[in-house]
Amino acid sequence: MDRRDFLKQVMLWSAGITTAIPGFRIVPELLAAEKQPPLVSHAQGKDYHKLVAQVLEPLGGIGNFVKTDDNVVIKPNIAWDRNPAQAANTHPQVVKAVVELCLDAGAKKVMVFDRTCNEERRCYVNSGIQETMAAIKDSRLQFYHPDSRKFVPVNIERGKAVSKLEIYKDALEADTYINVPVAKHHSLSRLTLGLKNSMGVLGGNRGQMHHNLGQKLADLATVIRPKLTVIDATRILLRNGPQGGNIDDVKVLDTIIASADPVACDAFATTLFDLKPEEISSTVAAYKLGLGEMDLARMQIIKAG
Amino acid sequence: MKKKRPKLRQWRRSSQIFCFILFLFLFIKTDYSGTNDLPYAVNILFRIDPFLAVSASLATKTLVLLMWPALIFIGLAFFLGRFFCGWVCPMGALLDSCHKFIPHAREGIVSRFHTLKYYLLGFLLISAFLGLPAAGYFDPFSILVRGLAISVYPALNVIATSFFTFTYQQMPEWVNMMTEPVYTLLKASILPFRQNFFELAFISLFILLTVFLLELLERRFFCRNVCPVGAFYAIISRFSIMRGKGGSKCGKCSNCMTVCRMGAIDGERNISPLECNLCMDCVDICPGSKISFGFQQKDIAKPSFGISRRTFIGTLALGTLLPFFLNTRTMAKRPDPYLIRPPGALPEDDFLGRCVRCGECMKVCIGNGLQPTFLAAGLEGMFSPRLNARTGYCEYNCTLCGQVCPTGALTELTLVQKHAAKIGNVFFDKNRCLPYAKGIPCIVCEEHCPTAEKAIQFREAEVLNNTGEKVWVKQPHLIDERCVGCGICETKCPLPGQSAVRLTSAGENRNPENALPAQAMPY
Repeated sequence: MDRRDFLKQVMLWSAGITTAIPGFRIVPELLAAEKQPPLVSHAQGKDYHKLVAQVLEPLGGIGNFVKTDDNVVIKPNIAWDRNPAQAANTHPQVVKAVVELCLDAGAKKVMVFDRTCNEERRCYVNSGIQETMAAIKDSRLQFYHPDSRKFVPVNIERGKAVSKLEIYKDALEADTYINVPVAKHHSLSRLTLGLKNSMGVLGGNRGQMHHNLGQKLADLATVIRPKLTVIDATRILLRNGPQGGNIDDVKVLDTIIASADPVACDAFATTLFDLKPEEISSTVAAYKLGLGEMDLARMQIIKAG
Repeated sequence: MKKKRPKLRQWRRSSQIFCFILFLFLFIKTDYSGTNDLPYAVNILFRIDPFLAVSASLATKTLVLLMWPALIFIGLAFFLGRFFCGWVCPMGALLDSCHKFIPHAREGIVSRFHTLKYYLLGFLLISAFLGLPAAGYFDPFSILVRGLAISVYPALNVIATSFFTFTYQQMPEWVNMMTEPVYTLLKASILPFRQNFFELAFISLFILLTVFLLELLERRFFCRNVCPVGAFYAIISRFSIMRGKGGSKCGKCSNCMTVCRMGAIDGERNISPLECNLCMDCVDICPGSKISFGFQQKDIAKPSFGISRRTFIGTLALGTLLPFFLNTRTMAKRPDPYLIRPPGALPEDDFLGRCVRCGECMKVCIGNGLQPTFLAAGLEGMFSPRLNARTGYCEYNCTLCGQVCPTGALTELTLVQKHAAKIGNVFFDKNRCLPYAKGIPCIVCEEHCPTAEKAIQFREAEVLNNTGEKVWVKQPHLIDERCVGCGICETKCPLPGQSAVRLTSAGENRNPENALPAQAMPY
């Protein structure tokens, strides 16, 4: 089965025409296309807005990921009622830059949202992201709160720890899903990076994800597969994650990492915390499912600019 | 031929509509609006209520300065009598607008129960002074706002969401093209941001509906006979300058008596300023134009209240004695440990004395954490706010409840004060908590703990899991001094049913008797 069939099922289910829950099987052939050493790009600089374009350059620029008339979903981390300096959410300038690049690339629609942990409106406002999104005057940009009616149950056919998840329709249907996490400490998964950030497209009781979290995140990644991952490590949270709150726990790195390989991107970001990719269970689980590379030696790591 | 003058009642009706729309606007705006500061005085309806002002002041034996706007309306009543009831009161406006839809009761007959409101007012004030605060049960605005906030408004959202979910899922695309923009518009304007859930939703609705059902007995039954605010204004109106002058020698027509919604006109066409709410229907309807309102009508005798001295003294005696019975209950000895008051709440007696049960704090609570208390604070504490941490929590950086409280039962806190305001303390149930009981890793409580230095910490421990294997897990424990009692850990605990971490009022700042061992003074 391919993605087209899957999307047809999603459409039929959400239109109430069928009650059969959509399922998606990502086949080894689909993944084989990406078997050459994955490219991981990273860049350092003070101007976060410029830095995003810079880090994407070695990957072929945004045009490699966003085609004219694509529907794009950009998924930043806006989970917490914290301000940008506290490093709990993706930096607003990074989100803004990614959005603007997609718009410039000719996207038909750019959707930005997150299912938050604290009160939705407070997170959107205090993360600074609402303000930067409002400053972009383009009707193709849609920055919104998830609509509870639009979570679709999906059978995770390759799932080892979870067999069914409720996933936000727009994320399933997007031509391009761009994951824009912030790199930070997390007491259970040690770090929260790209794979963890995708939890923001889930409905239902997400607390239950935490039992065997690493495997479940990998299972989710079999269905929600970003074409591009941009990890915001402009400032990282070293302790008291994932929401922090204490400025002493924040370290400014002025770094952004990007890759088409979600696992490789996470694996490389792990090194910023002086940890090894093997120590992050979701990275390991996703690697074992064949979703990407985790061996730093088998990646092509490029410092951009 | 006489010139056709603009009907006075149309002015009155416009005023009612305007005030009601203003009321609804402020009601909807009682919500987070993108900043932590509310841009409107959303609680103004309660702050202009002289009855609540006096009741709260008597209960706390201090002048509740927040209620100063009530003075304006007390002053106005000396000029205009009970104009508030006819021209401003949103409950009155609602009752008037529903009049057409409620089967017509007998009209214009001087009510037999109109003295009830004075007894009630006397009882409520004296019992409030002595420690039985019950003003919120009878205050029309408390009944109205509480009913709307806890029951009607959330129900409106259920109706809208159900309808638009049906059209979204079952209707063809072209229908959605029309319905979805409507839903978006409604969500942006009048519908609440999210579905809230409340305890006592039905009871609040029934109390509100009762006020409307009483219309079956008499028009404006509540206003004539029960309303303590009306009674308060009636007492002032005895001295008001503006009064209505009825027609004398005007024949057999009794149109004015029939049309009077307050039963203020007696057989001799005397208009009682105690009851008249200046609706002006009688002026407009009088075929001989004999009825007029004016400032210089000294010849009209000041009417009596018609209350029986014996009954009134009896009522006061009851109001004096009843409060003492409250202290015979176990809660006087040890309060309910799950009665968590919002941040900024005064010590319990002062808190209940000031709280008017308006439901504003529950309406504005963005975590849907504040719930109306049922019996945990006694019969007299019903509908006062408490934090139910299983269904909602107190948002760490939010201070909205203190801002909307009209009487200062909840103190308005700055963010720094709020972060230091401990309203309770959580306890782990090791028989349920997964890392303790099952050897399953779970850190959801710690992840959500909002204090900068997390109040929930881990200890790594080796335990046996369900299959008898030895596994290392992180087990949560609490640093009491850091916990503010926001309850987000209890809300987010992923266990089904009861949470493995439970919030209690232990350690709350406002009650030194609830101090935790760590807080207590050393012996």
